[in-house]
Amino acid sequence: MKIVVCIKQVPATNDAKIDPETKRIIREGLKAILNPFDTYAVEEAVQLRERFGGEVIVLSMGPEKAALSIREAVSVGADRGVLLSDRAFGGSDTWATSYALANAIRKIGDVDLVICGKQAVDGDTAQVGPGIAAHLDWKQATYVMAVEDASDDSIVVKRMHEDGYDICELKLPAVVTVVKDINTPRIPTLRGRLASEKIEVPVWKPADIGADLSKIGLDGSPTRVVRTAPPPPRNTVTKKISGTSAECADALIKELRLRSIL
Amino acid sequence: MRHHIENRIYHVEILPPKQDTEKLHEDLELFTTKYNRVKESGYCACITDNAMGLLAFQGPEVIEELCLKVEPSQVMIHLNTFHTKANLHEILDTCVAQGIKYLLIITGDGSDRLPKLTPADVGATDVQSVTSVELLRYIAKQYPGKFTMGVAFNPYEPQEHEFAKMERKMAAGAEFVVTQPIIEKNAIVDELLRKYPDVPVIIEAWMSKKLYLLSDAVGYEIPEDTEFDPIETLKQIHRDYPDCGVYLSLLGFKTQYHLISDTWVRE
Amino acid sequence: MRVNDDKQKNDYSNVWVIAEVLSGKIQPVTHELAGTARMLADKRGSEVWIVLLGNNVSEQAGTLFAYGADKVLVADDGSMANFNDEIETRVLVRMIDKYKPEIVICGATTRGRALIPRVAVVTDSGLTADCTELDIDPENGDLLQTRPAFGGNIMATIRCSDHRPQMSTVRPRVMKAPDPDPGRTGEIITENVTVSDKIDIKRILEVFHSSEAAVNLADAQIIIAGGRAMKGPEGFDILRAFAARVGGAVGASRAAVDAGWIPYAHQVGQTGQTVQTKVYIACGISGQIQHLVGMQSCDLIIAIDKNPDTPMMQMADIAVTGDLFEIVPALTAAIPKL
Repeated sequence: MKIVVCIKQVPATNDAKIDPETKRIIREGLKAILNPFDTYAVEEAVQLRERFGGEVIVLSMGPEKAALSIREAVSVGADRGVLLSDRAFGGSDTWATSYALANAIRKIGDVDLVICGKQAVDGDTAQVGPGIAAHLDWKQATYVMAVEDASDDSIVVKRMHEDGYDICELKLPAVVTVVKDINTPRIPTLRGRLASEKIEVPVWKPADIGADLSKIGLDGSPTRVVRTAPPPPRNTVTKKISGTSAECADALIKELRLRSIL
Repeated sequence: MRHHIENRIYHVEILPPKQDTEKLHEDLELFTTKYNRVKESGYCACITDNAMGLLAFQGPEVIEELCLKVEPSQVMIHLNTFHTKANLHEILDTCVAQGIKYLLIITGDGSDRLPKLTPADVGATDVQSVTSVELLRYIAKQYPGKFTMGVAFNPYEPQEHEFAKMERKMAAGAEFVVTQPIIEKNAIVDELLRKYPDVPVIIEAWMSKKLYLLSDAVGYEIPEDTEFDPIETLKQIHRDYPDCGVYLSLLGFKTQYHLISDTWVRE
Repeated sequence: MRVNDDKQKNDYSNVWVIAEVLSGKIQPVTHELAGTARMLADKRGSEVWIVLLGNNVSEQAGTLFAYGADKVLVADDGSMANFNDEIETRVLVRMIDKYKPEIVICGATTRGRALIPRVAVVTDSGLTADCTELDIDPENGDLLQTRPAFGGNIMATIRCSDHRPQMSTVRPRVMKAPDPDPGRTGEIITENVTVSDKIDIKRILEVFHSSEAAVNLADAQIIIAGGRAMKGPEGFDILRAFAARVGGAVGASRAAVDAGWIPYAHQVGQTGQTVQTKVYIACGISGQIQHLVGMQSCDLIIAIDKNPDTPMMQMADIAVTGDLFEIVPALTAAIPKL
């Protein structure tokens, strides 16, 4: 099975601090990491290859340093990676991003399965996976919590819904997006890490994937951010309550009543 | 382990390179230097397992990959419960292949990325979550005769609870004990020695001047203005606990290492 | 479709809502979005249409007029008894090509978030996820879509001036459902599902409805969440009792989920769910950043912890220092049964 895993490099929030004024997280100066949801996608692809054979190719679009995230995926078992990186890709929204990724998947060729994380933690849209499926006109399954079975020409997956779950069979090729429940991502071994430093990560430009320049980047993006504003700041004064448990409960009830919550 | 105490073999803690390091090769070189220095001094290198929940490479794989020489009495590997079963066996199999004999089994600290062993993984049916006790029992059963396993003792936890746990650890197959760091004679450690006169006990000595780090590590408050001289404290620990081994955490290889060659004296 | 001028834009009119149907029933988010669509349509002088896709759903179509719909576009077919994104996409794309809506709004549910991105690509439309505010430029019909970005750190307003239709998803409970007006009526239009819609699709082998999976934290008004300090699965019982009393939901930190005390569906945070509830009560959750990004946009944050110095206690609007095992049951007892 030839599997492409689409990944994204995102800002790490685990060493972020809280702004004492606004009580919100300071995002500036954060390290870049592999999107946490994508680690499940990589792991699932590697497990499928271990069971059924084939190849796992990691695909990402981003600045040149995103190659580090591709290497990270290789350190836990992916075979190789490709990076789409060019100024012309900059400013792409989910429509243009999924267009570029779909073109790269066509160029990789003979791909049976595309796996994406459920969403990226910076944008939180969950739109790129289904977008890729639409551009390729392949079947899709989102919020996949288990791969029940797979063969050369089909895959059986369990999808999570608000009111339960279902099990469905998709003839390949197909796109699936996976949730955290699906597996436990392995941690890179030293051997894997050292090997990942040695691989070449080819960088593809728009021309390499036959991209129509009017469909990528800012020009190819139907949506446009026209304004950003800080959200209303959190209450900067914390109301402190202490005392006996009964006193605490009473005081809290009063606060809730005061705000017409009860 | 008795041999370590009789021959005044220090246990020197070394941290393997972190997973998120941006200078892996430098870190590996530094690890090699420290490891070899400990070995040449005749001491025992103690390698941590994702200490404080921070992801790091595993001691055994580093030793294997860098082809470091293993003298069985001179290496101790920490092993905690935050692993997948496959990963646990990989580590243990590497230890066997490399001739590593001493394991310090601890419950450990989790983190976002670290999976935890499940009771089913280690064949435990009577618990909600896996602690050092279940892990110890499992390794003793799966690798009979391969390892000498020790456990941790925390004198800052409620005493009754901690001694009850120690009883279970001993029943599961623990053969030595390493305490949490102490900086003076400790009544609860004394009690431990009384209760288990035949078990080798290694006292952890805090070698950093930064006492607040110790407060964070053990969760007990140390007044910030406490005067603290690690080398003098170490000497005092030897005087207070002549029959115990010593485990040095956060030892400064540049500033302190040369000082410890004559701290362990016997009257 | 790309549009080049206002004349081309004017080929598109009306505000559509895609109805959310679960287990054969229209979900409240549909009514909430109908209210928002009504507001937008009134500003623009156009109509609200609700698209209802499913199996045996036609008889519910008439109930939608009371919430502000002028027309209900129904496709009722056995092939849509379960969620088959491919069929629904084809049916919806055909409807859009035929009737040319200016705006399409859909619930940001697991189904909506699977279906609409696919439709947006096929119809060459702009799509904005998880909008918290929608407004319209009455002159040219441009939709002004506001959404939190970067874990709620920035509010971004997004416009999509040169594509029609314009599409948005909105999380359940973000908009307020209007009071139903039973006197309102409208027109029901029926669309067929064709044979070609049903070829080359996935095969749904089994469907399970389970209440345990039905933890939709985004749906709750009040969430009470527990962390490592709950000490075990039993600890969550007191949170459940409180949640049941106030009609809220139970959340959890990753530490509690990883310890196996409560299923993943309850997890709030970066690798769990992001929630924006009215009230969030964090019990014994120290407040790792991964957790905070998932709940920092809640209106009122209450923290209960023994330790007054945790990041959560500092971020909270109300910080209660004390024993949660006593305080939470006391709270529950003090609230009258519904």
